[in-house]
Amino acid sequence: MIPQKHLEMVRMGLRNLVGYPMRTVLTMLGVVFGVGSVIAMLALGAGAERELLKEIGRLGIQNIIINSIKPEEPDTSSQRSNWISSYGITFKDHRQIVDTIPGIEKALPVHVSKKTVWQGSKRVEGTLYAVTPEHLDMFQLNTSVGRNLTHLDDEKLSRVCVVRSGMLTELGIFQDPIGFPLNIDNETFYIVGVLQDDSFLGYARKALSVDAKSSEIYVPYSTALRRHGTRSITRRSGSTEATDVELNQVVISVTDLDQVLVTARMLGSLLERNHPEKDYELVVPLEVLSQRQKTQQVFNMALVAIASISLLVGGIGIANIMLATVTERTKEIGVRRALGARRRHIIAQFLTETTTISTIGGGVGVLVGIGLVQVLTFFTGWSAAITLSSVALSLSISMAVGIVSGIYPARRAAGLDPISALRHE
Amino acid sequence: MKAPIISLQGVHKYYGEHEPRLHVLKGINLDVAEGEYVSITGTSGSGKSTLLNLLGCLDNTSEGAYLLNGTDVSSYSDDELSKIRNEDIGFIFQSFNLIPQLSVFENVQVPLLYGPRSIAATTDLCHQVIESVGLSDRSEHRPTQLSGGECQRVAIARALINDPVLLLADEPTGNLDTNTGDEVLALIDDLHQQGRSVVMITHDPDVANRSQRRVDLRDGIIVEAGAA
Repeated sequence: MIPQKHLEMVRMGLRNLVGYPMRTVLTMLGVVFGVGSVIAMLALGAGAERELLKEIGRLGIQNIIINSIKPEEPDTSSQRSNWISSYGITFKDHRQIVDTIPGIEKALPVHVSKKTVWQGSKRVEGTLYAVTPEHLDMFQLNTSVGRNLTHLDDEKLSRVCVVRSGMLTELGIFQDPIGFPLNIDNETFYIVGVLQDDSFLGYARKALSVDAKSSEIYVPYSTALRRHGTRSITRRSGSTEATDVELNQVVISVTDLDQVLVTARMLGSLLERNHPEKDYELVVPLEVLSQRQKTQQVFNMALVAIASISLLVGGIGIANIMLATVTERTKEIGVRRALGARRRHIIAQFLTETTTISTIGGGVGVLVGIGLVQVLTFFTGWSAAITLSSVALSLSISMAVGIVSGIYPARRAAGLDPISALRHE
Repeated sequence: MKAPIISLQGVHKYYGEHEPRLHVLKGINLDVAEGEYVSITGTSGSGKSTLLNLLGCLDNTSEGAYLLNGTDVSSYSDDELSKIRNEDIGFIFQSFNLIPQLSVFENVQVPLLYGPRSIAATTDLCHQVIESVGLSDRSEHRPTQLSGGECQRVAIARALINDPVLLLADEPTGNLDTNTGDEVLALIDDLHQQGRSVVMITHDPDVANRSQRRVDLRDGIIVEAGAA
């Protein structure tokens, strides 16, 4: 058979679909919505996964973060009399980590404290992050204006800081912020840089213990330690709380990606020995990422499975209409058989029709899916990514739906006896 | 005497697999020569439809041989019979049996879809055949836009498209009034004049009289065969 003849058969087969436009469109709708929802679900799933990667990837999958956390306080009065609560990672821990654990590229200390920042009569609650210059690079904290913290700042114990632009607005600083003095805990710090406006999101925020309510201020590690020490006193609704945490965070960068989990286990056992009271947490972005990805994939699969049910229903719809069509077109089938059509020609004709319906339905469904994704992301702010593979998958599934749903009606049509089919009225 | 285009030799046809079977054709012997115009008449139930189905290769004989153009087709498979119907037989039906969603031109093309020739190479041929039945100006019309006589002429064009050895007409004027019926019969007469072999089934003696030879069928047996 010549392909051109196939085309001709397809063309004549389509006449039948065009001849009954309403029926064709209604038959198609099932596949349209089925494919549309599959596309939308896959896009939302891919979007969520991308967001996850961005969020956790920002932490660096080669990094391990150790946070100091306040242990559960036993509720006894004798303990309460000790008014300075001291917990968390110590300088000693940091030294031990650097000295004993192999394969560590960097182990960056971070000290965090809540401070009130004044500018004239305006004030802002801020979180002071005493960090090394590498810290800013590691988490892609880049400045949009001015410069970042440097080693020189650290060495010279300079009183400089890098802030978020939101803080400037709150403090009413609208002129050039570089060199502007801020009063932090009775010390004057000069702004040298303003960070780009991309805050940590979701999990990254939690892992780095970035407080949502207060602004971040980054100052040189040595300066902060020398000026403010490690103790901090906070007053809260009449009571005073003093804490002494030497290091709030240590960010460890592992040289070899394969060694991240091994290193994390070594860190875990080291800290477990030093801190039986569990006043720390170990965050391994790589581990979190794979866990979250697994969860996300299960979720995606569930979503797609649910969406596929509508595709299945669409396929059943096609099969149903086609069966009705076979009865309706019995005479035509008889005529075609009398004119020399073999069984396989009749099968091919019906399969062509069902596959055309489902493929066009699939194509329209892809557009509907894209539209649906646009609407959803517009109104909910969810992240979505329509991938080429999801489009290809949906189209091939809808084609397959057409073939499968056409097989039974087509075989019925081909199995008709030409004589009785011809006599059918 | 020319070689017979059709030769039925002791043909029986039963329906049903178990006794008592319905015995419809009871030993038919019939030869139709090349270029001959034969009409088969008979009352309803006489077996003429069954005979037509056998002649049209829509069915197999139960007993006996059917030689079409010198080849015994009585035990051919479904696919082989389809091929013969496509290439060697041109059907003309009582109710025209055009496909309503296709145009006149496309209806004439339908047999080509199932044959070896390419559609593109036969466009001219289709135009010629449609012209020969006088419907050149109607080739883009749908069957529903045509009169009964025109529909039957489309059906004749469709029957001719593969240049069959045999034209098989089943009550071709049954759904037409006398005048249009006469036009269609005149067209069939013309085709016969051009040398086509025609077998026509009819219950109308006037129609049958236009053929060269009448075969009268009664209860599955040929009772009268002779010049009309």
